[in-house]
Amino acid sequence: MLKIYKLSLITIIGLVALYTFQGYYPEFIALFSNAFPPLIAGAAVIVSGVSLERYWRRISDKFSAIWLYFTCGLFLWFVGEAVWAGYTLIMGVELPYPSAADVFWLAGYIPFFIALCSYVRLFGGALTRKTLVLSLAATFTLTIFVAFALFIPVLEAGDDPFTTALNIAYPMLDLSLFSVAHLGLLVFWKGKLGKPWLLINAAIAVNTFADIIFSYATVQGVYYSGHMIDVLFQIAYLLFMVAFYVHAKEF
Amino acid sequence: MNQRVVAFEKALVEAIDEGLLMLGESGREVVYFHLRHYYGFTKEDVPSNPHILVRCLEKIFGMGARAIERDVIKSLYRKLKLEYVEKKSFDFMEYLNEAKAQLKGDKW
Repeated sequence: MLKIYKLSLITIIGLVALYTFQGYYPEFIALFSNAFPPLIAGAAVIVSGVSLERYWRRISDKFSAIWLYFTCGLFLWFVGEAVWAGYTLIMGVELPYPSAADVFWLAGYIPFFIALCSYVRLFGGALTRKTLVLSLAATFTLTIFVAFALFIPVLEAGDDPFTTALNIAYPMLDLSLFSVAHLGLLVFWKGKLGKPWLLINAAIAVNTFADIIFSYATVQGVYYSGHMIDVLFQIAYLLFMVAFYVHAKEF
Repeated sequence: MNQRVVAFEKALVEAIDEGLLMLGESGREVVYFHLRHYYGFTKEDVPSNPHILVRCLEKIFGMGARAIERDVIKSLYRKLKLEYVEKKSFDFMEYLNEAKAQLKGDKW
């Protein structure tokens, strides 16, 4: 098990180093930042699919349904990445945002949210009312803070309504995932399932941070293929992949 | 062995089966696998070593184990036709001992 953590850490360090020194190979990093995400997202889908195969019995089986939703969510995000890569690498569109890729990314949140909710709901009885109220209040405060921090620059940018909505939607959707996922972490923290839930939370947190910065960067017009933000999205996929691998190994 | 003890143990095994079903069949099988692989117990061994089930569930689910334990206890009380009363703090062993005590009157 230690091997997978070491391997992930090395991959993360490697990715960060690759993006940090991109000044030496700007053309390569532009290609890499568009070509690598479908690969890492695809790998995450495969690992989730393996877990699904392990837990699958029938759709009415709760655990089977949860893993089906997780896999569907990741699959839709993978399609989003593949469509983005198609735009940038095949059609030569410099920044396909908004684009058809967003349809898949946004759609992916639905099954992922259902999966998290279903999983946490199974064990909801383990949380005390006080913990539940406190943690939901903390998430609500965080959401309000992010919303206000984002609303002003995004609205001031004067983009079309669809782009404006997307710039706000992604971080908000990430926070909605986090609001459920952190409850899972609280429930499973002391058990073997605490590890995969910590990784799921880390993945969502990194994704949230990346989406917030992406919204700012696109509003400011400073985002480009190979921007340092891209590494965060890739790390998030890696964390999801490791989380699902560890989950299948531990349980 | 006292017939009532046998009935209690049978009810407990069935209650464990039902309680773990909240995880679905696949989840239940994984718990039984852990019980067998890490503790050398089957579900039939649980009535004589209930703390092993508690330990196994806590090891896997942490605080989440309580939700499963509660389902097991509710199912057990239903089977034994006992009244389940929700307490502020849940303790599997306490509920189990209370069920035994309520059934007592007879010899264990």
